Amino acid sequence: MSDNNQMTEAPELHELRDTLSGVAVPGRPRLETITARGRAHRRRRLSAVAGLSVAGAAAGTVLALGLTGVLGPARTPGTIRTASFTLVSNSDGTATLTINPKELLDPAALQSDLTQYGIRAKVTSGSFCSSSPAPAGFSQVVSFHPAAPGTQTPQSGVQLTITIDPAAMPAGAELSVGYFRLPSGEQQADVVLIDSNSNTCTSTPPDPNGPPTGYNQSDSLGLLYGGPGPAGS
Amino acid sequence: VGHDETGFAEFFQASWDPCLRAVAASTGDMLLAEDQVAEAFARAWASWRKVSRHPAPRAWVVRTALNAGASWWRRRARELPLADHDVAASGSSGTGLDTAVLTALRRLPARQREVIVLRVFLDLDIETTARQLEIAPGTVRAHLSRAVTALRNELARADTTEADPCQTTIR
Repeated sequence: MSDNNQMTEAPELHELRDTLSGVAVPGRPRLETITARGRAHRRRRLSAVAGLSVAGAAAGTVLALGLTGVLGPARTPGTIRTASFTLVSNSDGTATLTINPKELLDPAALQSDLTQYGIRAKVTSGSFCSSSPAPAGFSQVVSFHPAAPGTQTPQSGVQLTITIDPAAMPAGAELSVGYFRLPSGEQQADVVLIDSNSNTCTSTPPDPNGPPTGYNQSDSLGLLYGGPGPAGS
Repeated sequence: VGHDETGFAEFFQASWDPCLRAVAASTGDMLLAEDQVAEAFARAWASWRKVSRHPAPRAWVVRTALNAGASWWRRRARELPLADHDVAASGSSGTGLDTAVLTALRRLPARQREVIVLRVFLDLDIETTARQLEIAPGTVRAHLSRAVTALRNELARADTTEADPCQTTIR
């Protein structure tokens, strides 16, 4: 006990505590905003559980159609595995993409596999396409999966899981995934929504320190991963 | 269905600020932290039955926020310049996140930082911190001790540089 107290009495930790209390924080979001987001999580989770418990592919298909309504006939539940990513078609109409950071992404394969699962996407290698103004609704279309609390987060080889909901995609919009192999050996991928009929592409990778030009932090997903190292390249 | 809305609302009101401060201090980016913490609270709401019985619900939220996979990737890009220059990450100006001690905190290895966040910022005891991180209490103490030493050295270095501005201009 005295050990613990001695340690937390260290002046540096006192200073940290004091400084922390001086950090200005913006106002709390509305509770309804949080609970609406939470409800979406619960729906997704319940759908996944329901999908697992329904025996037989026919029942699964009925459930998927019932939940999502307007998905095209190209959607077939299943899993596509490649070295660089895994794409799972979920019974609730969403698709879960897991990227393996240790492998180089295959943009062409990702493009065709997303299409197969009913996700309109433009996956480009060495260029990034964007629209101005950016279509709204990115956070409804794309969500990220952190590791569950209490589980081990691997120090290396962390995999990123993204869930894409094609039913939430605004009309006339599609996902833009711009993929770059950087001179450092790292890989960069930026994901945004674009207007299918009005977008421009550039060969310059977006600044990895912030959202792409014309987009907000909440309208984009930026990935920087891999790179030089024992398992990197 | 048995979802304790009132309990969650109280928890949310009481815990938003401390959780956001802890995450922002650890990441150096208030905007990003806001999004991560909002996401973590949404997940807490979705699993409130479980989270409300958790021994340290705030720690659950903070860890969930810090574990947010995508943000981690983005954050990594933000942290790279900090290793070489005293440049605050975007979103930190005017929030008090760019003080010497918080900059020093962000230079600590991830595990030491997590221990500081749980033990010092959220005031968990050693045993609860250890359980949260799934490590032994002795390891928590070791991380804390190393973190204090590293912070001390960083702050001493910052003081020296401040006291002798010529040091940075001589080539």
